[in-house]
Amino acid sequence: MSIEVKNLIKKFGNKTVINNVSFKVNDGETLAIVGFSGSGKSTILKLICGLIPKDSGEIITSEGDIAMVFQYSALFDSLDVADNISFALRERRDLRKKFSEKQIKDIVAQKLELVGLKGIEHLYPSELSGGMQKRVSFARAIVTEPNSILYDEPTSGLDPISSTLIENYIVRLKEETKAASVVVTHQMSTITRTADRVIMLYNGQIVFEGTPDEMLKQDNPYTKQFVTASLNGPMKMTERNNNE
Amino acid sequence: MGILKKYFKQSATYKLYKGISGIFFDFVDTLGKITENGLEVIKFILKGEINRKELVEQCSRFGVSSLPITLTIVGMTSVIVASQVALEMVKQGGGHFIGMMMTILIIREVAVIMSGFAIISMIGSSLASELATMRVTEQIDAIKVLKVNPVSYLFIPRVLSGIIMMPFVTILAAAIGIIAGAVTSDMFAGLSYRAYFDSAWLGLYMKDLWVSLLKAVFFGGTIALISCSCGYFASGGAKGVGLATTKAVVWSFVAIVIWDMIFAIAFFF
Repeated sequence: MSIEVKNLIKKFGNKTVINNVSFKVNDGETLAIVGFSGSGKSTILKLICGLIPKDSGEIITSEGDIAMVFQYSALFDSLDVADNISFALRERRDLRKKFSEKQIKDIVAQKLELVGLKGIEHLYPSELSGGMQKRVSFARAIVTEPNSILYDEPTSGLDPISSTLIENYIVRLKEETKAASVVVTHQMSTITRTADRVIMLYNGQIVFEGTPDEMLKQDNPYTKQFVTASLNGPMKMTERNNNE
Repeated sequence: MGILKKYFKQSATYKLYKGISGIFFDFVDTLGKITENGLEVIKFILKGEINRKELVEQCSRFGVSSLPITLTIVGMTSVIVASQVALEMVKQGGGHFIGMMMTILIIREVAVIMSGFAIISMIGSSLASELATMRVTEQIDAIKVLKVNPVSYLFIPRVLSGIIMMPFVTILAAAIGIIAGAVTSDMFAGLSYRAYFDSAWLGLYMKDLWVSLLKAVFFGGTIALISCSCGYFASGGAKGVGLATTKAVVWSFVAIVIWDMIFAIAFFF
C-alpha cells in the first residue's frame, strides 16, 4: 500500500475543510480527487506530503519519497532548468555527496528526455511556456525516484492540446515509475485519461468513490451535477466557494 | 444580549482594543518567528552546513551591489555634517579638532548606522520580497517537498553574507566619510588637509574600531535575519509580498537602532 488515508480531519479556524476522509492508493495506481473549488482537494495533497499538519486521522505512506507537482509549477525562478531538476540531488543532505557532476548531468538529461524536453537545460523558467514549465516540474518531481507522486491541478490553465500532452505524461510516468499517483483536477479529460479511480469531495467529505466510467454513468446526484456542470443539484455554489 | 454585543463590537473602544491587541499579538508573533529562525540559523552554522556557492553569490549581492549607494549615503552625510560644523569650529578657534570630531563621529556612528540604513533599503527589502515571492508562488513549499530544509538553504547564506560583508562595507564607508569630511572642511572652512588629518587620529582608540566592526557584524546579521524571516512568513499574493517587505524594513530599522543603543550603553556609558 503506497498511500493510505484514514479518518483524516483538518480544520482552518472553525471551518472543517477535510471531514473524516479515508482512501487508499496502491502502487502503480492513479486516484483522481475532484470537486468544486474550496472543497479541500489541494489541502489533502498538502496533508499527504506534510506541508500542513493534520488535526486528526492517519496518513500512512510506504517508505521512499513523495513528490508533488504544483498547480503553478513552483519552479525556482532564479535557477535554470538543469539546476531546478537537480536541486534535490545537490541540496538534500542524504543525496548531495552521492552523485558526481557528470552523473547529475546525465540524470537531468534523462529526466528531460522522459518529459519530451531534451536540450533545454540552460533555459530559465521565465523563458518557458506554461506547458513546458509543468513538464519541467514533472522532471524535478521524479528526479529522486519517488514512490508516490501528487499532482495539484496539472492541466489547469493549459490549452486542450497541452492538457492532453500533460495527461499522456502523467500516464507515462505512472508506467515508468510504478508510483502511486494522486491527481487533483477539475477537468473531465484529465480524469478519464489518467485516473484508475475517482473520489469526489464536497464540504470536505467524500460523496462519490468509483471508476471514471462509473462517474460518467451519472447515477450519483453529485457526479451528475459535476459532469453536466449544472447549477441545480445537491452541491450549492455559494459566493464564498465562487471566490475561492 | 446579542444586540448589546453587536453594538459593543461597533464601538470605538472595541475597535481601539482590537487594533492595539492586534498590533501587540503581531509583534509577539513576529519576534517569536525571528527568534526561532535565528536559533535554527545558529544551529546550522555550528553544524557547518554552509552552501559555499550560494554564500559567495549572496556576499557579492550584500557587499558589492550595495556599495555605491552605501558609500554615497555615508559620504553625503559627512559632507552635510562637516559643512555645518567646520566653519563654526574654525571661527571659535577649534579648527584643529575638526578632523578628530569627524573621525570619531564617523567611525563610532555614521559609517555603521548609515551603512545599515542603506543596506536595509537596498538589500533587506530585496531579501524580504525575494523570499515572500518564493512563499506565495509555492517555491518554499517545493523546497520542503524535495526534503531540503528551507532555513538551511535560504537563510544561512544570506545571514552569513550579512555578518561577513557588513564590516567590510563599514570600513570602506568610514574611509569615504573621513575623506569627504576633509574635502568639505577644506572647501567650507579653508582647513588644510594636513590640519584635518593631523587631528583625525587624536581622539580615536582601538576600542572605537573594534566596537564599530562588532556593531557591523550584529547589524549585518540582524538585517539579513529579519528580512529573510519577514519574507519567509509572508502570506497572500502581491499584497502579502508588499506587507512583508514593509515589515522587514521597519523591523530592521528599529532593530539596528536598538542594537546601537545597547552598544552605546555597553561600551561608552
